[in-house]
Formats: sequence, C-alpha cells, structure tokens
Amino acid sequence: MAKEVFYSGCAAAAYGAKDARVEVISSYPIRPYTGIMMELSKLVANGELDAEFVLGEGEHAQVSIAYGASAAGARAYTGSSGVGVVYAMECYSPAAGGRLPCQMAIADRALDPPGDFGSEHTDVMSARDQGWIMGWAESPQEVYDNTIMYYRIGEDHRVQLPQFCCQDGYFVSHIPGKMQMEDQKAVDDFLPPYNPPHPLNPKKPINHGPQIFPDQGSAINVQRAVAFDDIEAVISEVVTDYNKAFGRKYSPFVDEYMMDDADIAFFIQGGHARTARYAVNHLRKKGVKAGVSRLRFMRPFPTEAVAASLSKVKAVGVIETNTSYGGVTRGGNIAPEARAACYNLDNRPIITSFMAGLGGEIVTLNEFYAMAKVLSDAVKSGKANNSYWMNFEKEVLDTHK
Amino acid sequence: MSQEVYEVTIWARGVFQDMEGRHATLLMANAADLGGKFVQAWDDYADLPDRVGVPLRKYVRLADEEIEMRFVYVNNNPSLVVLMDDTIVKGMNILRGMPQGGSLVVNTKRTPDEILAFIPNKELLANIVCVDASGLAADTAIDFMGSEGGVEVAAVGAGISAPLVGAAAKVCDRFTIENVVKVASNKSAAQAGFDAAQVKAL
Repeated sequence: MAKEVFYSGCAAAAYGAKDARVEVISSYPIRPYTGIMMELSKLVANGELDAEFVLGEGEHAQVSIAYGASAAGARAYTGSSGVGVVYAMECYSPAAGGRLPCQMAIADRALDPPGDFGSEHTDVMSARDQGWIMGWAESPQEVYDNTIMYYRIGEDHRVQLPQFCCQDGYFVSHIPGKMQMEDQKAVDDFLPPYNPPHPLNPKKPINHGPQIFPDQGSAINVQRAVAFDDIEAVISEVVTDYNKAFGRKYSPFVDEYMMDDADIAFFIQGGHARTARYAVNHLRKKGVKAGVSRLRFMRPFPTEAVAASLSKVKAVGVIETNTSYGGVTRGGNIAPEARAACYNLDNRPIITSFMAGLGGEIVTLNEFYAMAKVLSDAVKSGKANNSYWMNFEKEVLDTHK
Repeated sequence: MSQEVYEVTIWARGVFQDMEGRHATLLMANAADLGGKFVQAWDDYADLPDRVGVPLRKYVRLADEEIEMRFVYVNNNPSLVVLMDDTIVKGMNILRGMPQGGSLVVNTKRTPDEILAFIPNKELLANIVCVDASGLAADTAIDFMGSEGGVEVAAVGAGISAPLVGAAAKVCDRFTIENVVKVASNKSAAQAGFDAAQVKAL
C-alpha cells in the first residue's frame, strides 16, 4: 500500500533506493547526505533491504565500489556531498564511459574555503560534463520519485548511463515534508530488475576500461555522446509512465508556473523554486507578470524544452546557486547554457545570471522581488548586466530601500 | 506582505536529549497538523551533529496557510519556548527574539518563580509553565547513533516529550491536548503532563 509519511529529503532518497531494490550500497560519511546512508544501514541491518552495504575509505573508493558492482550487474547506489563529491572526480568519467548505470545521491554542499556546510550546487555541477545524468529535486517527494525514475532512465539499453540524483543540502535534505511512498509491487512493476547487457562473468570474460591507442579515443567518446541523442525520448517515456502509475504531474524537463502570460521569468533548479512560486504569487498581485520555469534536468540539458519555455518571456533571471568564476556571464553555469539554448530564437529574451543562494544563503522573498525589479527594468531598457551578485550590487541594494 | 507564522523553539541537551527534542517537535507538529494547521518541524542544522550535553535547538512552525518561507535556518521570533532541561536557563538567552506575550514551558521539579529568577528578560513572557516531565515519563528515548536527516524508528512520544508537549498545550492555542494525546505513543503521560502543569500568568 502507498502511504503518506513526513520525511526529510535524506530519508526520501533512502526509501527511494530501498523501493528501487538497490543491491550494492557504498558509503562514506559527509554532511548533509550522511542521513541517506544512516537510513539505508538501518534498513539493511533490520533485514528490510537485501543489499551489500560496503564502507569505502573515501569517496574515490565509494564511487569505485559502485562502478565495480554495476559492472558486475548489480543495481548500485552511492552518494556524497560537497568536497566529497569532488574528491571522487576521477571516477565519474570511467563510470559513464563504461556505460554503467549506478546512481549517486547528492545532497549538495558548498565547497571550501572556508568549511561551509550550506547548500550550493557547485560541487556536483563541477562534474556535469562527465556523461552522467543530472538533475535536482525540489522536495522530499521529488527526491523519492527521481531516485526510482533515474534508475529506469539510466538502465534503459538506449541510455546506459550513471546518474547524479541531486537535492539541495539542508533545505531539501534536512527539512521534512509530507510525501507519499508507493506500494512496493507497483514500484517493481515500474522498475524491473536491472538487465545488464555486458555483465562481468568469469565464464565469458570481458574487459572494462583497458588502455587504448590515442586514435581509438574519439570512437569511444562518440558512443557516450550518442547515448545523449536518445535520452530525451527515454526520459519523456519514463516520466509519463511514472506520472500515470503514481498520479504525479511532472513535466519531463521544465516545470512551468504561470509562464503562459508572463513577461519575466525566474529560471531555476532545486528547492528555491518553491520560494520563487510564492514570490510570483505576490508579484502578480502587484501587477508584475512573473513566472517560474524550473529546470528538472541539467544533464541532458533539455535545449528545446528550455528554448520553448523561455521564449514566452522578455527577460529571464537565472537563479544560479552555483559559481563559474571567470565564466561567460561572470556568474554561474546555467545562464550560458540557457542563452545558448535560446540562440536560434527570433525573439531571444534577455538572460542574466542572478548569483543567489550561494554557500547555503537563504533566497528570500525580498530577494526575488529585487530580481523581478531588475528584470522589469531590463524589459523597459532592453538590456541587463551579464550577472548580478545579489545583495552586493548597488542597483540591487537600491531596490531594497 | 509577510505571512503570520507561529514559531516554537525547543531546547534540549546534546545526544541524550537529541531524540526526545526531535520527538517533541514531531508531536507538536503532528497534533497541530491533525487540527488542520500547516506545519514545519526540523532540527537546527548548525547544532548537529551534536556533542554530549551541548544545548540543541529544534524548531516547529505553525500557520493557517501553506508556509511560504520554508527554507530558513532558525526561528528568529519564537512565541513559545520549551526547555527539555531546566539548567538551560543559565547563561543562555532563551527568549531572544520572542515577541511580547510569549510562553515558556520548562521540564523541571522547580516552581515557576524559581525558574524566573534566572531569566533577565522575563517581561517578554505572558506565562510560564513548569512540569516534571522526566518524573511523569516512563523513560527517555536515546539514540546514540544520532539520526540527523533521518527517520524516527522509535515510537514518537514514548518519553519525556509527551508530558512536556502535553503541558505546552495548556498555554498554546495552536494545538489541543486532545490531539497531542491522539498522536503520542504514551497517551497517559501526555495527559498527565497537561494535568500536572503549573501555570503562572505574568
């Protein structure tokens, strides 16, 4: 039976993994994702989940264990936060290049210095170009749902890719919310056991990750790239099936709120989209036609869906919650991709980076109002800065007066 | 255009009261939820992982509509403060940010006047409630593993959280003792806390 529970994002991830019947779990502690592994260790110890629970001596080992288990044909699960995510960086490309669909739960965390434990997307965004599927959930419910959906997307033989299943540290991972856990039988029907195309088998030896000559490299790379050609169709299928099976209303790629008649939009991924929607409600009462376009997948970047969504408005503010020092907009990593997605549009909106929610700072309603003011001014003047470091720019601070 | 949210801060001692503190937040939130409130209950992120005996904050927020600003770290203006351990009154500004006319609920064998002697800013209070929750509860739930970000495996409201939240229902109109009793696993202790609570209006 499906049941309603009051769970944190960490617990939601753990129960999503349990319902996905993960077979090998590799763990190493770091806040804030640790709660996921604490829950899973209890479930394994209590006999509620039949899985191997392996302790890595660090994140590099953790991901290597998941890599090996996935190569052997197991449904493998691991996870990390912040500096732990980047410590394992070497292992991401081999897992994707080996086409091994293990899953890594990310409860994101700011990178040092100094030792900040607040949410920021920069940690795993640094690994966005390694060939892993990547997207952020905005609530414990979506964490649970994504955990199950990502396995089916990644394990599809048209895809065969590992997945970063991300949530905002603390905001989503630690603040409990009401959510529905689904019936195990229904989850089993939705997500059949992993059927590996080329499992390691002593009777039929194969080789993973051998040395090759340099001129063989591009042929391997192109296969990983081709996997991303088919992936959007697979994601659409999986999300549609999940919505049908469990009564959800997810858009595959971009969740829109009041976008149809909007002049300005907040483009955002993760939990702060929730606050953005309330900001839009208040802005609408004041006559500001604002909307929210929430990105559900950073990889694959849904180029067409993003262009279709952002083409509805005149100015877009990207709430980055990640950094790209010295990058195109001198802001974050998402605005450049949103701009590129809109490049071929006849009427491109103005797109700017709003640097907000860094280091775990709360993005308040007032901050969204300030962003809306910048965007409304941009619509009038036809131009905007490449980026705004919220609460540090004179023109942004002026709007607070 | 800011929304009215009723804030509750619960103070507990690290490790041996961490779980009971969290249970108190869950009991209060579950009781208010049953009464139709929109609720939020969570642990202070900076206070965890905890150390033995350190003061810990746990929070509850109650509102008549969906809470807009869910993503906060602390309750800045608690109208209700609950102490799981009476020694926390010493050296800690437990009423910081409290709007005028708040309530304080203390797990103690002492009288309201004895506790008030330790509170320099007591003029903020409309009332104080003292209850010997430790004496009324059968035991204290302790989780030495900690459960930051996790799920409660133990029954909620088996220990001192039940009489303490029961006593809080005497001065807080956002949840009822009937609903606290309904959601607590030790129902008689919740009711006993309500019945034994010494309330002093200020």
